Amino acid sequence: MSPRLLWSIASVEARKRMSYRLDFWIHALVGLSVQLGVAYLITLALYRESGASSIAGFTLREMMAYYVLVVVIARVVTATEMDHSVSQDIYEGALSRYLLYPTSYPAVKYAQQIGAMAPALVQCVIFIAWMPFVLGVPAGISAGGIAMGAASVVVASLLQFMMILPIQAVSFWADNVWSLMVAYRIVSRILGGMMIPLALFPGWLRDALPWSPFPYLFAMPVDAVLGRVSALQWAQGTGIALAWCAALAVVTAVVWRRGDLQYTGVGQ
Amino acid sequence: MIRYLRLYAHFVRFSFSRAMEFRLDFTFRIGMDMLWYLVNWSFFWILFKHTPLLGGWTYDQMVVFVGGVFVADAIQMTVFANNMWWLPVAINKGDIDYHLVRPVSSLFFLSLREFAANSFINLIMAAGILVWALARYPSPFGAAAVATYLALLLVGVVLHYSMQMWFLIPTFWMHTSSGLREIFWSVDQFSSRPHGIYIGWVRRLLTSLLPCALIVSFPTKALLEGATPGLLAHLLGVTAAAFGLTLLLWKLGLRAYASASS
Repeated sequence: MSPRLLWSIASVEARKRMSYRLDFWIHALVGLSVQLGVAYLITLALYRESGASSIAGFTLREMMAYYVLVVVIARVVTATEMDHSVSQDIYEGALSRYLLYPTSYPAVKYAQQIGAMAPALVQCVIFIAWMPFVLGVPAGISAGGIAMGAASVVVASLLQFMMILPIQAVSFWADNVWSLMVAYRIVSRILGGMMIPLALFPGWLRDALPWSPFPYLFAMPVDAVLGRVSALQWAQGTGIALAWCAALAVVTAVVWRRGDLQYTGVGQ
Repeated sequence: MIRYLRLYAHFVRFSFSRAMEFRLDFTFRIGMDMLWYLVNWSFFWILFKHTPLLGGWTYDQMVVFVGGVFVADAIQMTVFANNMWWLPVAINKGDIDYHLVRPVSSLFFLSLREFAANSFINLIMAAGILVWALARYPSPFGAAAVATYLALLLVGVVLHYSMQMWFLIPTFWMHTSSGLREIFWSVDQFSSRPHGIYIGWVRRLLTSLLPCALIVSFPTKALLEGATPGLLAHLLGVTAAAFGLTLLLWKLGLRAYASASS
């Protein structure tokens, strides 16, 4: 796909997302505030009742900084998660119209995801802006860490896209994949470190998780920004995440080819 | 009353036959809810690796609370969730017309006509988890305490339904595709956490105007710490007020309803 085409599709998607601006901002404000509020209150109770000043290497402030970052970064990475646009195209027979497009179907969908991420990115910057004034600047933050974190967000968005695609492709056979998407969402939230920092997990799970794709969705970008991973660990993690992207691309290609054989686009 | 019960029995029968037409989806949904149970239990299990108490409750007490959350959620998913999903669509498309001419309450019909058969299987699982949570609790509960707890849990479900309606009924005026549903889903996160973690004005808010903290926490508190008259009056009073507000909003919404011909 040419960069110009990618830009056009992405900008159309971004404008579409912003068409109901009040709705968009109210949902974002309430969603982020409640998520942060619940995380704050749970964290506060955890430190108060355990009597510890540091848990799994996090002070209370560091834990709060983690939650602020993970909540906003997850908003960017999961911008199109529950849109079901791929499964909708399959159900409605709308895949046929993409035969006329001068690029592949997954490329169009990924361009749309980038477009959807843009407004979420603006929200992300606005919501993070207050953090230094309330929580202070966490000790581990550096320019290098922020750059690694930004790169991890890009990888995470690609990984998220690659994980969703084969799930949505199940629509070739199933009448509804909504529940599969919700199941993915539930699992990715906990194993990705969005509900609890992965450092709090029991040791056996902490050892196993880096080989799965989940920590690279949310925890890796946040840990990189907070300076909790070394450059080597970050490079290894990014390598594993990209390897998962490649493996999932193969899975998607196989599933898609089989699904395509029984696809009917009547009336489109 | 008998007429409404018979009507509801018909809803249940139709829902089961409809659910069995989409067997793969039926299985997926059961798996999805099982994962949700596992993840929510794991969340507290991991936190209790780092603290002996959370929100004033021990791990054993939290397991009872989590069992209650599962049962309340499963009842909500089985009885109300599908209906709540389609309510804004019915309002915007004018489908309420069909229900206004029927000789039954439109609110009853639109809130209960779809019974989620797949979630009913999850309700059985959630009930099993709750029974396990109660059975493993170090000091056994009396039958009266458990009966009171279950009754209060049902009151909590009615409160949850009422609150959800507050966020959906505005569709009559807003004409958006889902009313304020997504805002409710965000706010609803407060109900699946123990009320003991809430402090200051947040606690006052969540036990009065936006009573998420009453839905499961108060029935659990009644079971663990005793059902005091104050606690019962608080939960029943707020639920009655919340349900009354729902009825009032529904009446106002129907007055603003533009019908299919608009």
